[in-house]
Amino acid sequence: MNIKPALILNWTVPVIALVLWEVYGRLDLLPRYLSAPTLIVAGLWELAVSGELWPALAASIYRVAAGFMAGTAAGIVAGLGAGLVPGVRNFFDPLVSFLFSIPKIAFLPVFLLLFGLGHASKIGIIAFSVFFPVFIASRHAVLSTNPILLWAARNMGTPPRTIFFRVTIPAVAPQLFAGIRIGLAHAFVVLFAAELIGSKAGLANLISYGEEWVRFDLMFAGIVCFAVLGFVSDRILMAIRRRVLRGHLIGTEEQVVQ
Amino acid sequence: MIATAIKLIGRWYSIPLLLLVWQVAVDSGLVQSRLLPSPSQVWSVLVTELANGRLVYHAAVTLCRALIGFTLAVLVGIPFAAAMARSALWRNLFEPIFFLGYPVPKIALFPVFTYIFGIGSPSKIAFTFIECLYPIVVTCFFGFRGIQTRLVWTAANFGASRAVILGRVILPAALPNIFAGLRLALPVAIIVVVITEMIGDSIGLGYYITIWSTRFSFANVYAAIFVIGVCGFLLDQTLLLVRRHVIYWQREVP
Repeated sequence: MNIKPALILNWTVPVIALVLWEVYGRLDLLPRYLSAPTLIVAGLWELAVSGELWPALAASIYRVAAGFMAGTAAGIVAGLGAGLVPGVRNFFDPLVSFLFSIPKIAFLPVFLLLFGLGHASKIGIIAFSVFFPVFIASRHAVLSTNPILLWAARNMGTPPRTIFFRVTIPAVAPQLFAGIRIGLAHAFVVLFAAELIGSKAGLANLISYGEEWVRFDLMFAGIVCFAVLGFVSDRILMAIRRRVLRGHLIGTEEQVVQ
Repeated sequence: MIATAIKLIGRWYSIPLLLLVWQVAVDSGLVQSRLLPSPSQVWSVLVTELANGRLVYHAAVTLCRALIGFTLAVLVGIPFAAAMARSALWRNLFEPIFFLGYPVPKIALFPVFTYIFGIGSPSKIAFTFIECLYPIVVTCFFGFRGIQTRLVWTAANFGASRAVILGRVILPAALPNIFAGLRLALPVAIIVVVITEMIGDSIGLGYYITIWSTRFSFANVYAAIFVIGVCGFLLDQTLLLVRRHVIYWQREVP
């Protein structure tokens, strides 16, 4: 068995941090609200066995998935439209450049009022905040398509429909995925804040219940679930990206953060 | 003259058009003005709240927190990224923390931050610092890594010391990527401060939005949203201005 020294170094900091946390937590040298890693795992197990975890997890996944998909679809359609049609671009550009710098979560009270405390308001605000990075990425990607590709296709008498599906879409795909990935990160931030501020179900509520019951192991169990959920969805998106862009990635150094 | 006017209208018509539709919809009673105040109502609230200084105060609190957290992240993040890019030991020690931690939603840790740093400014600043640190370190790392080796070799051949190479070759070559990272992190700072203020505080624009929405005075909410938008826009423009002066040899991509 040979272990690379780089691999040992990779694990050094996390393992030392976990061990110190465990030892100091068990010796009661840390404040009680920091709990300890093994207690957190036990808390996670307790939540899973008692069945409290699953409805919360399901609610969060449903909201983030529905909101993310709706926002991504709207962003791609509007972004491609804005990239291809100057009229659409002129309509969206001033709005987006003003709204982009506003944290979309600021509109949460408005969404809560319009859609109530249930799923719809969270899905709405998540879709709203995912829309912007996806829109900007796809608009920018269409406008920066290499014109030589389009000229070549037109020269050979390709109909516009075929140009759109066979030239434009493949050319914008890499930038599109960059925008979608930023959108996914936004989706989780907004999900957490929206659930915490106005909701009765979801992982963020599990976390705040853990706080209220002074069960800090349960609070951390919720935090771990939330973090893992975000991490896994990012990995799924990256796997899809690798599959879709396999032609683009040949011969390039994969520079995107994995 | 007329052509430019038409072009200008063609480019910017959508905001006035939407405001007009909004105003007409509220005035004609299609939408309840209690739930959706008209632009003119929002404007009058904005003017009074700016004049009596309440919005100015809360905006100043939010901006201070965002800028302090952001500046700390810049001061720590750039040297950290440089060390990670130039030293194999640092890279192996810290790469997984930044690259595996990058897609993890850190917002879930905010309750822990309030326990450690209290409910006021320190927890918000610390959390903004963490949230800004990730994009800055990751983009700057690629900036420092992506330097063409022949530049470094040439400088070393001319007998430049390590410090000179770092200051005169590596840093300028990495600057475009550094600014890309800063531009990613700056809106993150404002978003994070507003969100954490909405979750729990008694000052700041996030608090202002929460308190006025519980009082069902949505004109104040929209006024605060407008102020946040203006602040974000001005910060972004300032950053672009700085970039233009620092990286005078390269035009920014529009």
